[in-house]
Amino acid sequence: MSTAAGIPAGLTRQSEVTADVRVDCGVVIVGSGAGGATMAAELAAAGVDVVMVEEGGYHPTESFTAETGRAMRTLYRDGGAGLALGRPPVLFSEGRCVGGSTVVNGGMSWRTPARVLERWASEEAVTAVSEHDMAPYFAKVESRISVALQDPETIGKDMRLLRAGAEAKGWKIIPNLRNQLHCAGSNNCTNGCPTGAKRSMLVTNVPRALARGARLFADCRVERITRSGGAVTGVEGRFVRPGGRRGPRLAVRSAAVVVAGGAVQTPALLARSGLRSRSGQLGRNLTLHPNAKVIAFFDEEVTGWHGVHQAYQVREFMDDGILLTAVNLAPSLIAATMPGHGRELGELMAAYNHMITAGCLVEDTGAGRVRNIAGLGPQVFYQITSRDAERVVRGVARAAELMFAAGARRVLLPFDGAPEVRDPAGLHNLLARPVPKRSIELFTVHLMGTARMSDDPRRGVVDSFGAFHGVRGLFVADASLFPSPIGVNPMETILALVTRNAQRLIDQRGRYRI
Amino acid sequence: MPQDPSPLTWRLRDPARRIVARFAGVVCPPQVRAPKLAEGLLGEFELLLGALPTGARRSVLIAFVVFDQGARVYPRAHGRRFVHLGDEDADAYFRAVLARRRSGLGTALQRIKGLVVMCYYELPEVKEQLAYRPDAYIAAVSRRRLASYAAQIRAGEAAALAPDPGSSGPERDAGSAPEPPPGQRPNAPPGPRPNAPPGPRPNATPGRQEDRP
Repeated sequence: MSTAAGIPAGLTRQSEVTADVRVDCGVVIVGSGAGGATMAAELAAAGVDVVMVEEGGYHPTESFTAETGRAMRTLYRDGGAGLALGRPPVLFSEGRCVGGSTVVNGGMSWRTPARVLERWASEEAVTAVSEHDMAPYFAKVESRISVALQDPETIGKDMRLLRAGAEAKGWKIIPNLRNQLHCAGSNNCTNGCPTGAKRSMLVTNVPRALARGARLFADCRVERITRSGGAVTGVEGRFVRPGGRRGPRLAVRSAAVVVAGGAVQTPALLARSGLRSRSGQLGRNLTLHPNAKVIAFFDEEVTGWHGVHQAYQVREFMDDGILLTAVNLAPSLIAATMPGHGRELGELMAAYNHMITAGCLVEDTGAGRVRNIAGLGPQVFYQITSRDAERVVRGVARAAELMFAAGARRVLLPFDGAPEVRDPAGLHNLLARPVPKRSIELFTVHLMGTARMSDDPRRGVVDSFGAFHGVRGLFVADASLFPSPIGVNPMETILALVTRNAQRLIDQRGRYRI
Repeated sequence: MPQDPSPLTWRLRDPARRIVARFAGVVCPPQVRAPKLAEGLLGEFELLLGALPTGARRSVLIAFVVFDQGARVYPRAHGRRFVHLGDEDADAYFRAVLARRRSGLGTALQRIKGLVVMCYYELPEVKEQLAYRPDAYIAAVSRRRLASYAAQIRAGEAAALAPDPGSSGPERDAGSAPEPPPGQRPNAPPGPRPNAPPGPRPNATPGRQEDRP
């Protein structure tokens, strides 16, 4: 269902708003990503009057191109240049558009590992979260977003080399499950899928919610949650004009508020609305799956931008909390992190079609923090632990070994000042000495844990179903819920938890009068 | 192609443009000195700065000014600013600052270098030099996808908006696509799963997924 201009019915953008807007609804949802859109679709299907408010813009599939700079400016928060402060700092990126980070992620869709669910139940006082409890929700979201293996013809040479390297090493490698409907293998996931094959929230739960009567205000930043006594009464925000100028106000009056802005924006919004958690955990417990990458050069042409974004994951080292994979990056993104400058950089980049970027993801044990800083907004602080740094170094070493086994001639490591490595022996020699923690170049796209679940209000910000302890009608529905990192891509865990939590809210709708 | 929805709302002033252009001449490959590339890079850089939060944008600009003026105390510069240094001295000064990692100056410079070279490699002419031509490739594989799977794609897209099996009330009335028969997954056409190659079906059994497929 859409209007004549191709804009879905129920969607309002800033350009269509000339004066302050006031609306009433049953539930207002802040954010339209994995958590927000899923909650909206479930509640709207049950007949709840839903309003979604999204800070980013509406960018339909037809607008997605291979221009990385343009995508970073329009689909990502802060141009994709988030920085968690620490030594070393961690670069991070978050989506900011209708559909949220699901529009720009790689589409990996994995259930929460059973050991993680068991730990949440036994150590974090989270109920109804066993593998058995969660199975129907995983099945439902996998069906909704078309989780499946990749069609073979879309697997590119970079991925075939990754698999060959893992097989040569005798390491366990598995094909990725991704939310895709016959993905074309255009390798444009992080710029927005130009075919709509990636079943992001933009093409699944957002239109599903709108088709069931939900309303969506895009380009509107929620500034605070309003309350009366011990219950929420809605939200207030401002439409954002081009260039970040403040536009008209939006006031939504509702019986319930669901916050789904991601692990940075959610605690920031809750805190600037004056909310506190008895647990002291609001904004704390940030984990982020630190990633580091190696760049491997092959004699043969690899043309890594031909074929699917990620077809495989190496699961050999999961017991050590290390996951390996390869992913092609656009030239601009690779160049931004390359060593060297001037002519030397040009010579390295001239081999772009001979490169594979492999990397590791580490299930971290440290914890960072999100804080609102006056004049700067939400700021992220994260100090990687020595133990995790050692695992990152081990993961990098494994990724480099894997590339050599696949036939790489030389490898660049993500350690500041490290020389190019030309064979496994050189790698071994280089890593025989400790790598200074501060020299590791880290990045991430998985931020979690800043409004953690627990039925014990002394331990968790929200209960097992996302209800904020001590504030009636307030819920969290994104990766902030995770009590701990999960060691795999988090999208499906968010969708499944939120589907489960939405069902709980529907079951209790009389209590909340929605 | 749709217009870039991020309007240029922010421009470098001339003194800052000169610093950025000189900086790009040092950190980017020598081809950047071609006038068209230099102008293109500055345009990209302005767009990028416009997307950054105010605090970050201000920090970047201050860093450029500090880097430019800091050259005055670099021995080989003989009191000149960075923008006035010859190629060799500018390169040596850049390397000297980059080496000061412990003080944080080098790390900051590395990040700013990253922003500038990122803009350089966004230029169409530079992508062409690398033989990076994603538009033609995307068009080709998109055509292949539709030629191979049009019916399954249509069915899958309709199923994404269809009511859940067994739903009732408002859910049943909302979607436009017909409800699939009981027991059939909503986006699966009759027969094998559309995306599943021969071998184990990825989602066939509920339960542990860690070892699947």
